[in-house]
Amino acid sequence: MLKLNSTLQCLLLNQPESGMGYQIVEATTFDNKIKRGIAYNAELLLFDEEARLTLKTTAFARLLNEAKISTGEIKSLHVVTNTASASPAFALRETATSYGKQATPAKDAPIEKTKEKEVFKRFTAYENDHRITSDGKLLPGTYATTEEDAKKAPTGKVAVARYALPNPKPASNVWTIKPWKDTLIQSGIVEPAYGQPGGGVEVLFRDGTHAGTVTGPEKIPDE
Amino acid sequence: MRVKLEKRWIKRLLQLPESGMGYQRVDLRLADGRELKNVLAFNAEEVELPDECADAKIEDIHLQTA
Repeated sequence: MLKLNSTLQCLLLNQPESGMGYQIVEATTFDNKIKRGIAYNAELLLFDEEARLTLKTTAFARLLNEAKISTGEIKSLHVVTNTASASPAFALRETATSYGKQATPAKDAPIEKTKEKEVFKRFTAYENDHRITSDGKLLPGTYATTEEDAKKAPTGKVAVARYALPNPKPASNVWTIKPWKDTLIQSGIVEPAYGQPGGGVEVLFRDGTHAGTVTGPEKIPDE
Repeated sequence: MRVKLEKRWIKRLLQLPESGMGYQRVDLRLADGRELKNVLAFNAEEVELPDECADAKIEDIHLQTA
């Protein structure tokens, strides 16, 4: 976490916001590393790998006061302007973690069991999703998201950003999964990848699901 | 470019876990001996290959574990 010096603040204030009160930025450090992060109010920069919990628990003024100054750390900064990066999904990363899910990828999370009547959603660019069998089950090792998190992806393009999908084609086919109680899952948060912010909840069905548990797809708008 | 996989590779990929929703990261060995690391496979049916490899025959596929 860095407090931006006046030069960088001025630079950011001359560039558009990515969302209300924040800018998605790429910073070049003095050791020539390029790091992505979010600049809040053009004055406080959190890199992608840094925990965002402090933003919820600590007053902004105090964070600014305690943050290290960017001078000597960052030599240049620019706002990421491509559509995917500027999507609202960037701002939703904090929301995803607040559901009590671990801020780690699902594959590294502990194994849990589904509760009764829990519902999950799966976004894909394909109508003929090969991971869903003709008798309506998920194959082992298939990813989905929670029903709650899926509400934050109203279009296929937002889904690509929120779940950091490498296929740029809108993931506009949405499958509904109603697994049996006690189905084994691992839940986590999608890490930024492929130029996408991630931040959504991902659920890995380690052993798949039973027959008749998957329906769809429902078509949502591409954008 | 995107290349459609033969049925045997689709079958193989469907037996392996995804890397994320709708995709897998795989390593490929081509018939001419070239190896391609960290290739993206979508929906277990097509892979993203460099243009110069598009016509090459795939000899083996396994999941990228790194």
